[in-house]
Amino acid sequence: MSGVYVVLEDRGGRISRISWEAVAAANILAAQSGTKANAIVIGAQTEALAKEAATKGVAKVVRIEHPLLAQYTPDGFTAALEQFIRAESPNYIVFPHSYQVRDYAPALAARLGRVLIGDVTAIGGLTAASNGPIFTRQLMQGRLSGNYKSAGTGPAFISVQSGAFRADAPETSAAETTTFTPTIDATQIRTKPGEPFRGAAQTVDLGSAQLIVAVGRGIKEADNLPLVQDLATAIGAEIAASRPICDNGWLPIERQVGSSGQTVAPKLYLAVGISGAIQHLVGMKGAQCIVAINKDAEAPIFEVADYGIVGDLFEVVPALTEAVKATKQ
Amino acid sequence: MNLLSSTLAEPQSFSPWEKLLLVALIVASAGLFWRRFGPILKRILNSKKDPNFRLSPVAKRVWDFFWEVLCQAKVIRERPLPGLAHAFVFWGFCAFALVTLNHLATGFGVGFLYPQGLIGRFYFYLAAAFAIACAAGILGLFVRRFFVRPRWLGEKVSYESGFIALLIFLLMVTYLASFAVTDSSPAARILWWAHTLSLLVFLPIIPHTKHLHLVLSPATIFLSRGGFSKIPPLVGDEDFGLVTGTDLTQLVSLQAYSCVECGRCSEHCPATNTGKELNPKEIILGLRGYLNEFGPSSQETLIGKFNSMTADFQCTTCGSCEYQCPVGIEHLPIIIGLRRGAVNTGTWEDDHGAKLFLALERGSNALGMGALERDKFVQKQAFPIFDGTQEYCLWLGCMGGYDPKGREIIADFARVMNYLGTSYGVLRKEKCTGDPVRRLGNDLLFQQLAESNLEALAQNKVKRIVSICPHCVRTIQEDWKEFGTPPEIEHHSEFLARFADKLPKQTTNGKPSEKIAYHDPCYLGRYRNVYEEPRAVAGLAGEVVEAPRSHERSFCCGAGGGLVFLGEETGDRVSHTRAKELVATGASTIGTACPFCNTMFRDALSATGQPAPQLLDIAQLTARGLPDANAAIGRTAPGGSTRE
Amino acid sequence: MKIIVAIKQVPERDAQVRIDSSGKWIEETDLQYAMNESDAYALEEALQLKEKHGAEVVVLSAGPERAGTTIREALAKGADRAIHVEADSLHQHDALGAAQLLAAAVKPESPDLILTGLQSDDLGYGQTGVIMAELLGLPHASLILHVEKTDTGLTVKRELEEGWFQNIDLPLPALLMIQSGGTKLRYATLMGIKKAKTKEFRKIAATDLGHPNEPTAVLEKITLPQKQKSTQIISGSPKEAAATLVEKLKFEVRVI
Repeated sequence: MSGVYVVLEDRGGRISRISWEAVAAANILAAQSGTKANAIVIGAQTEALAKEAATKGVAKVVRIEHPLLAQYTPDGFTAALEQFIRAESPNYIVFPHSYQVRDYAPALAARLGRVLIGDVTAIGGLTAASNGPIFTRQLMQGRLSGNYKSAGTGPAFISVQSGAFRADAPETSAAETTTFTPTIDATQIRTKPGEPFRGAAQTVDLGSAQLIVAVGRGIKEADNLPLVQDLATAIGAEIAASRPICDNGWLPIERQVGSSGQTVAPKLYLAVGISGAIQHLVGMKGAQCIVAINKDAEAPIFEVADYGIVGDLFEVVPALTEAVKATKQ
Repeated sequence: MNLLSSTLAEPQSFSPWEKLLLVALIVASAGLFWRRFGPILKRILNSKKDPNFRLSPVAKRVWDFFWEVLCQAKVIRERPLPGLAHAFVFWGFCAFALVTLNHLATGFGVGFLYPQGLIGRFYFYLAAAFAIACAAGILGLFVRRFFVRPRWLGEKVSYESGFIALLIFLLMVTYLASFAVTDSSPAARILWWAHTLSLLVFLPIIPHTKHLHLVLSPATIFLSRGGFSKIPPLVGDEDFGLVTGTDLTQLVSLQAYSCVECGRCSEHCPATNTGKELNPKEIILGLRGYLNEFGPSSQETLIGKFNSMTADFQCTTCGSCEYQCPVGIEHLPIIIGLRRGAVNTGTWEDDHGAKLFLALERGSNALGMGALERDKFVQKQAFPIFDGTQEYCLWLGCMGGYDPKGREIIADFARVMNYLGTSYGVLRKEKCTGDPVRRLGNDLLFQQLAESNLEALAQNKVKRIVSICPHCVRTIQEDWKEFGTPPEIEHHSEFLARFADKLPKQTTNGKPSEKIAYHDPCYLGRYRNVYEEPRAVAGLAGEVVEAPRSHERSFCCGAGGGLVFLGEETGDRVSHTRAKELVATGASTIGTACPFCNTMFRDALSATGQPAPQLLDIAQLTARGLPDANAAIGRTAPGGSTRE
Repeated sequence: MKIIVAIKQVPERDAQVRIDSSGKWIEETDLQYAMNESDAYALEEALQLKEKHGAEVVVLSAGPERAGTTIREALAKGADRAIHVEADSLHQHDALGAAQLLAAAVKPESPDLILTGLQSDDLGYGQTGVIMAELLGLPHASLILHVEKTDTGLTVKRELEEGWFQNIDLPLPALLMIQSGGTKLRYATLMGIKKAKTKEFRKIAATDLGHPNEPTAVLEKITLPQKQKSTQIISGSPKEAAATLVEKLKFEVRVI
């Protein structure tokens, strides 16, 4: 049993950004034995994906290819990877903790009598003194951390949280590529996936928005709204508002967040010029990360915010928009 | 004709035909009366018995009867001029009791009051005085109903009211006119028959109209539940509140039939006044309509043809309706009973309501905030933790624990308690008292919250609580009684008023610093009769001025009854309506004594856009006068602008 | 149709949790418990299928005695009967061990559909459902927001990253892991609780269900996270503050 393998995920023909972070994590493990990780790409046509992966700091790229793997299905991917793992007996298999991985990796591990240590945020215990790596993951929705170890014989299955590991800089030399063809029968694939589609574009569904920029009375006039809209566009966020803005008709009522409007729980809630009255707070307190921009240092919003900027939004917001655009390039 | 020397003329003898006719008319009249009244009485008596109804303490019932029925106190107090007119009509009826009996007896030749005798003469003169007052009264009321046409009497002209007014007037006039004629004159006989006919036509009309209150309302007032907004406990596994006709109790049915349709309840209702569907009068009349059509044994749901669920859930439980009702109708247990019927059976589908219930199913407070937030606040303020040794347990409540403004009120009140040297502690954990779910009719949740809290309080050995929220005070003191024995609790205005002489008086050059318009919270005023204590406290900080509707007529802020959690309202906003009234007093500060009123007005004032008066709780008003006022957060001097 | 809904009783969200003396679990005294959030959505989905197509909804939960309250809540909301696998210290099992227990309880029932929540609010593995499907040999799908019954089985709506969705067809019997927020939850009613009193409530000792594997993903220790949640006020000129904020949003919060 040897080797560290990392399973790369692709979207729209290109490897996803989080896969590179998984590579970085896998390389941390591989460094224990002075090697680099081996990348795996899966699909029906993986030549381009393999080429992309080859220069990203991996020792080798394995192409697991089969026509029945054209679209992701848990049955297909599990069967393919199971065969590969049984053939290669790696020490570690690292995944990015994506929706797709959550859908099949636990079944894959169980099939091999193992358990996935998922959503890992840190890998420690890599010194000689410690008895194997320690994988840290969040418990109680982030209120506590747990240190996990992989026990027993068999490969350790790890998935890493988005953003927990920084992707390495790409190398110039390309790694070697091999191909593995699993045996899959069409009857093994029990689910039929449809084409991905977007939610209805017309209706505003703040409830499922992951990123929200909300504007309050600090904006003073309707004419100033484009300022905040630019920021929202730059971040890729939905626009929302506190009640007075919707009352004035500056934004439609569907964008109101609060006790008499929508309740939202996005990954990011950026409150611009919102004081934080309870009627608004109850609508957005479920956000994972709250950022507040307000000129009043005593504004109640700062008590629930993770990050705050006390300043004039007419200066801070444009600066923020610029900074976001710059980082996305 | 000398009035003082004239006596009442009575025809001395009636022919056998006349006597026969009289008997027939009396029988017919009584028969028609009973034909209509009998079924009504039957419906009332066939209704479910009120569990937990006790006649004792009788003394209070007797007093209420004396004060409200005999003295017509509520009738007069709430609408003085028409009330007095009605009182005269009523007293006239009372005074006429013997007159009427004697009148009919005379028809059979067995009259027992002699117009010439001393007693008879005195009595008839007395009755005459009442007759004049009664006639004047009924005339005034007639003019008011048909010419002045106040809004609360409804759009439709009530012909039956007009007819009855005419009959009453006739009764009085025929009586008075009998002083001007002699016993033997034909006029006396005509007057006698006119009076008799008016009487015997009036009698059967009574149960057909709202004048049924003549018969029922004395009983309704005597048999009231006692207390204010007294919500009856549910009994047994099949009781979910007012779901179908079988759930209507005798008291509810009696009250439904007693309604006089005066509209006093609607006149003061915040929902009716802001263009909403809810009209308390219609709720009661709806029950009457239901009973008339379906009866008390029907399985037909109460919500339906005669009652609107939308209207039921627009009630803030402010209590103006029940408080005012001159015939003893208790609206709140009825509206809450209807809500219970909908919520306890899961028929009420409302996104915000479900959200509130789910928040309390899964968490500890009505706002859906994490308990951690309250912990952080308690730690930040370094409040002492209650350990059984302190004098008071300071109850934060949901608003005091999680709302930024509520927290300021708590912090300032704590400051005042420190100044006064009162020992207090806050509980490590609190759960919502359950007020909003109680008023919305969710008995499952309320029981869970009440029992859980009572257990925690007992474990922590809490004996006395002080709270900044009248809703918490009411729920803990009254509603929790259903599940245990709650500790003593008082509102912070009652606490502060006791120490008024120890608290600094805020003046500028010897004069009050500013004018403060004090708003009476529903749950402190009407529910608890606490009016003067908060004024005494506010009076330390400035000159208290009154809004046009104050004390027991205070107009709701709109948050109660769980409504603050139910999202957007239709029509005008109740809070805005009241805020305008308070602003119009010209005061530089609006004083509140309830964190919900505070948050509602904060919203309303910031929506006006113009510089609004300051908005401060009485605790904050008191705290700003303390020597270390400058150290406090969010302090603004009198006359300063709001933070928004 | 027979639907089994697997639910878990977890500590109340957003409450303070403390590490116990062993350092391997949390201090359970003084904690409030509630139904796991995504499980509540799974239950709701099952109840809606029952209302639309007629079904028997069986609620299944593994946990200590206190889990009974949460199971009764599910009965009160409309489930037809309950199975309580009595097990203390569930946290000592890894996801495979927990799934083995539940699968053993499910097997004799031969349900048409098994619904679980997406992940638990305490351990948050998010794997139990997928592993159960594997152990029972059933097709599955996760992150499901909506379930429709069809002539050939089910069509479900799955959530993908970044605002995309996907419909998946699968045959019955199957297992689905339900995501929160796909529908509106119903509240527990007094009438529901009263009816629940007469519903079948079967208890099975975990030991009667066989021995799960020894954990291979071992929770060795629980610690407080490095960063406590407190407000970081970012200072500096607007440009500086903006740059700092973007940095934090990118690398600490990972939303950009």
